[in-house]
Amino acid sequence: MPLTSFEIEYAQKVLGRKLTKEELILLEAEWSEHCSYKSTKEHLKKLKTIAPWVLIGPGRDAGAIKLFEDVALVARIESHNHPSAVDPYNGAATGVGGIVRDVLSLGAKPILLVDALYMGSLKTRHSQWLATNIVKGIGDYGNRLGIPTATGLTWFSKSYEKQPLVNVACIGLTKPERILSGKVKPGDPIVLLGNTTGRDGFLGSSFASKPLDEKDIAAIQVGNPFIEKLIIDALLDAFDKNLLSHVKDLGGGGLGTAIVETAAQNKVGVTVYLDKVHLREPDLEPFEILASESQERMIVIPKDSNRLNELFKIFDKYEIEYSIIGHFSSEKRVKMFFKNRSVVDIPVELAVSPPRISRKVSAPVSSFEVPFPTDVDIEKTLISVLSSPRVSLKKAVYEQYDWGVGGRTVLPPGYGDSAVIWLRDGSKRGFAVSVRGNPRYVKLDPFTGAALSLGDAYRRVSAVGAAPLAALDNINSGNPEKPNQHYYTVKMIEGLAYASEILNLPIIGGNVSLYNEDEKGSMIDPVTSIMVIGKIENITKALGVVPVGDSPLVLIGKTEPELGGSEVQEVILGDVYGRPPVFRADTEKKLASFAKKVSEKELAYAAHSVSIGGIAVTVSKMAYWGNVGITLNSLAICECSPFEALFSESQARILYEVKPESLQEFLSLAQSYKLKASVIGHTLRNEKTIRVQHNGKEVIRLDLSKVSESLEALEKTL
Amino acid sequence: MSRVAIIKYPGTNCEEETLYAIRNASKLDGRIVWHSEFKMDEWDAIILPGGFSYGDYGHAGLIASWSKASNEIEKAFENDIPILGICNGFQILTEIGILPGNLLYNESAKFIARWIRVKVHNPKGPWLSLIEEGAVLSMPIAHAEGRYFTDSPENVIKKPWMEYIENPNGSIRSIAGVAEKDGIVLGLMPHPERASFPWQSPRGFEPGGRKIFEGLGVSLKRGW
Repeated sequence: MPLTSFEIEYAQKVLGRKLTKEELILLEAEWSEHCSYKSTKEHLKKLKTIAPWVLIGPGRDAGAIKLFEDVALVARIESHNHPSAVDPYNGAATGVGGIVRDVLSLGAKPILLVDALYMGSLKTRHSQWLATNIVKGIGDYGNRLGIPTATGLTWFSKSYEKQPLVNVACIGLTKPERILSGKVKPGDPIVLLGNTTGRDGFLGSSFASKPLDEKDIAAIQVGNPFIEKLIIDALLDAFDKNLLSHVKDLGGGGLGTAIVETAAQNKVGVTVYLDKVHLREPDLEPFEILASESQERMIVIPKDSNRLNELFKIFDKYEIEYSIIGHFSSEKRVKMFFKNRSVVDIPVELAVSPPRISRKVSAPVSSFEVPFPTDVDIEKTLISVLSSPRVSLKKAVYEQYDWGVGGRTVLPPGYGDSAVIWLRDGSKRGFAVSVRGNPRYVKLDPFTGAALSLGDAYRRVSAVGAAPLAALDNINSGNPEKPNQHYYTVKMIEGLAYASEILNLPIIGGNVSLYNEDEKGSMIDPVTSIMVIGKIENITKALGVVPVGDSPLVLIGKTEPELGGSEVQEVILGDVYGRPPVFRADTEKKLASFAKKVSEKELAYAAHSVSIGGIAVTVSKMAYWGNVGITLNSLAICECSPFEALFSESQARILYEVKPESLQEFLSLAQSYKLKASVIGHTLRNEKTIRVQHNGKEVIRLDLSKVSESLEALEKTL
Repeated sequence: MSRVAIIKYPGTNCEEETLYAIRNASKLDGRIVWHSEFKMDEWDAIILPGGFSYGDYGHAGLIASWSKASNEIEKAFENDIPILGICNGFQILTEIGILPGNLLYNESAKFIARWIRVKVHNPKGPWLSLIEEGAVLSMPIAHAEGRYFTDSPENVIKKPWMEYIENPNGSIRSIAGVAEKDGIVLGLMPHPERASFPWQSPRGFEPGGRKIFEGLGVSLKRGW
């Protein structure tokens, strides 16, 4: 988005002269929403970001925690919404490329990718085209890097018909003492590594900071995962040899932004010779070199300039291009030259300090309640819910992702509530990751909606037996200049701040994507994706979702008739009304400690957190995964109607298949945590049906084959 | 101690877990060797691991087969040194021409990553030395170009080979793996290195790759 006339006047007043074309371009990128967070900075301060185990909080290219005494886990999440709407394949692919480079920039080895995709109805050719290519883009890029995509979230709604939301996250590992300091000093040379600089992706960050325009195709970056893979291998060699002090991705805003941010963080100046940059097209103008967002490029700063030859030997082995393009300086100015001509000469401070703006918010009219029709057929409803694309199995997505490369994947997609990843370091240690987001809850109440997503991801990480340690957030929202849209952004941040504080879960990084509007200027459904990371001492005890059969099903947590914002509401009424479920922080915390104990003591065969679609969906999926029958007693779930008992989305619930011989111990453990535990049914090895009783009457009797057919609905459309 | 070379090309990405399996399941010494530095006479066995060598440009395995490592691999083949090609490594071995057939795009035209089962026929040689005739092994597959094709499948199935229980990609005769020289050279699309420890396999599957690595460990000590 171009600078406002107010911003230009402000810059010219500080400088006392007119801006050059290159300076204008540099400030446009630096001061964009994407790079400066100017509309959200004051609100993001409210988030809990500190804990004793946090090594690096928000502010650098990625966050880091001490996972174990000798293991640092580095993570980052980012959106690629605008590019994916215009060119879904390259938009999604380059999102993966960028997030991997962010994790590299802390000196870590990237070992896991996670995606959260919000796509259209799949009922139009456009939304099918978007979804197919987004998934293929993520798969093709991640697979070629040899980084598994082992968990994710896929949501479908007509709100995202033309504007999908593509959030991708990456996790890396290193030793705590090996995290790059990020420190540079005057005199340090700047090495530009990787792909040639071309015209693709010109001013992508600024393009991502305004509503979309069909003509924006020139702003799309094209990815080359093969070059990225070589960069990863080369940098890992360089990290091993301790050759680098700082590495930074050339992401949004390109070279200019990466250099200015490094200089600003280190309180030094910088001199760059733009004609030294290795180019794809020889006739690039200096302003194009400055702002190009060509992919697979990084700046690397050597720890010791006397060892540059060692560094270049590594780059030569992998046949990656590089050039020395300038150096840091003690004069705190950004100076850039092109063929001996000065094109940029401004204070570093100005480049990173856009004039303050204040955004207004205004609350929308709150949603009203709409009752369900009285003659709903419960069995038919179950089939409709199971075949809804949001509920049905995502095999068509994750089977295109190499979830197993690296040999670390203990619970792949479809086998656990979180991905469980083994460190593969001679121990049995590991970690668990889940990403969640629910646009329906946010629509009804953005504060609670964001809090519930954090609770959901926190619970899924707990369900496998991990101890949640940190979270990352990706806020996707509307136009900050419109108070009724900005309201959602601010409320989601406040909800996150509240939930992260109360669950004692530091937020170590995040991303804000604004201006997600359609061509008419209406906001698409805002949502916050939350990724939670937890640690596991012994991955061999991780609890998956696949039941064994002939064992009791025990529901932990309380079921209330909460149907606002639920799957069944959208399936039957076509939209959502009322209030989302209550965020029960206290129960979530107790449940997390309980779940960890259950896994340690090996009391259960399977655990599955109750999510969209309620218990009905939870048991149907478990039946499918284990190829077992299930009987349920509706009144044991809730003293309410079977419809409410089955489809309520009350939070803070996990359904366990308990080992029959451990049932008593399991129930007394629940009691000791003051958690409600109800034996609601059984799994059956030799009977392939799902049966639900209410007051002695059978309200559902569904063959497993019918359940499978419904759950596999997505495979036919994607 | 016997030494196993794991050859890395630009774009190879399964070398580390393969080395881990060699050290911890085969109990052998192993090293990752950069393709241009590979010399066959320094090694007792050779593995070409999975990945996307040279980004799969052209088609999978094509450009890697032009590496000068291919001369060394051919020499190793002539000298009866055990060679295993996993996924992209299998594709490279067919491109070099020491294993028969070709690996074409999956029937679905999509990348497929899932746990599958294969049945082992005519097990012979160092890699299959601990596996019984007809044994069923579970392992994951992860490939886009894994549809095995040959004009003469009848020749392939006279030798040691692996058969998908449920054909995931349209391979002729459901062929998942083929061998030459009485099983001294083996190529397979599934990933044994991702199925070498019990916790790598989810409920319903066994770590079926372990026997292949254990087999090599035993065979290099006692012969096969």
